Amino acid sequence: MTINEITTGKSHEVTIIPVEASDYKTITKKRYFFDWKQEKEFEIYKLCILSSNDILGLVSFEKIPSEWRIHIRLLTVSIENKGKNKKFDNIAGNLIAHVAKIAIIEYAELACVSLRPKTEIAQHYIKKYNFIATGMTLSIEIPEIINLIHQYHD
Amino acid sequence: MTNKNEHNTHLDSEYGVDSRYASHEEYQSEATALMEARLQRMKGLSNSQVVQAKLLQLKFQMQEFIKQPVNEAKSYFSMFLQQYIDTLYAKRAVFAKDIGITPVQLSQVINNHRAPQDDFILKLMIHSERMYKGVSPFPEALWYQVYFHEKLCNLMATQQQWQSTLAKEVSVSEPSVRYGKRKK
Repeated sequence: MTINEITTGKSHEVTIIPVEASDYKTITKKRYFFDWKQEKEFEIYKLCILSSNDILGLVSFEKIPSEWRIHIRLLTVSIENKGKNKKFDNIAGNLIAHVAKIAIIEYAELACVSLRPKTEIAQHYIKKYNFIATGMTLSIEIPEIINLIHQYHD
Repeated sequence: MTNKNEHNTHLDSEYGVDSRYASHEEYQSEATALMEARLQRMKGLSNSQVVQAKLLQLKFQMQEFIKQPVNEAKSYFSMFLQQYIDTLYAKRAVFAKDIGITPVQLSQVINNHRAPQDDFILKLMIHSERMYKGVSPFPEALWYQVYFHEKLCNLMATQQQWQSTLAKEVSVSEPSVRYGKRKK
C-alpha cells in the first residue's frame, strides 16, 4: 500500500488501521471536513504514512451482513490533500481498496462495497474505481472489487 | 471537449463523500433495488471468479489471524486447511493424493489428531504457490506463520495448566553466581 508524493514523485508506504479514542482530539472538522465523532458507533479507519502518526485520510463504514455488503458512510482526505495543490495522491483509492479487502474477508464471492455520492461526483467514482450505479447507489462487486484490491494492495 | 466545471469537480471530488442515508426508508428502498441488480450480476459470475474470491478471502483471513494478539486456543491451521481444500477440490482424498499423503493422514491433520509435519507444510506451501498464481501473490511463509502463531496462542491460553508444574522444575542459579548481588 503506497501513496505518491506529487511534487517529488516519491512513493510512501502507508498503514490503514482503526481509529483510536485518542485520535478524536486531532480529527477535526476543519481538517477532515466532517464531524467524525458522530461516526463513533461505526468502524472508522485512518490512513497514515508508515512510522508517522499524521492522519492523511479517513473512512467510516457499516457492515450489512444480510446483504453481504459494506456501505461506506464517510470518506475523506485531510485538507492539504484536497484539490489540485494536494500533497499526496491515492489516499482515497487506498481507503476504498481497504474496505474492499474487508468485504472480501467477510463475504468472499458475494462481497460488495457501496457508496452514495452526490450526483455531480458519482461519475468520478464510476470512472476511477469502476463502481456501478443502481439508482443513487454506487457499488463495486466481483470481479471489479478484486481488480481494485490488486491495484492498491497487492 | 471537457467542460470546465466538470473538470473542477473531478479535481475536488476526492476530498470526500458523505454517503450516509438520510432515513431508514431511503436505505430500504435503495437496498432492495441494489440487491435485485446484484443478484442478476451474480448469475454471470464464472466458477473461476468464485474460486478466486474464496482464495483471496482465505489469504486475507490467514494474514489477519497472524496479526491478532495471542490469547485464544483454537485450531486455526486445520480450519484454514479445510477451507483451502474445500475451495479447490470436490474430494479431499484427491488433494491428499496431489500432495503425496494418504487420505487418513490428511484427515488426522484436519481433525487435529496429528500435528502437521514439516514435509506436509512444505508441500502445502508449494501447492498454494501454484494455486495462487494468477490470483494474488501468496507469501511463502504464510502456512508456517499460521501454524506457529496458533501454537503460541494455544501455549499462552493454557499457561495456567502447564506453568505451575513446569515452574517447579526450573531454577535460576547461574546469574547470581556469575554476577553476584545487584548493586543498589
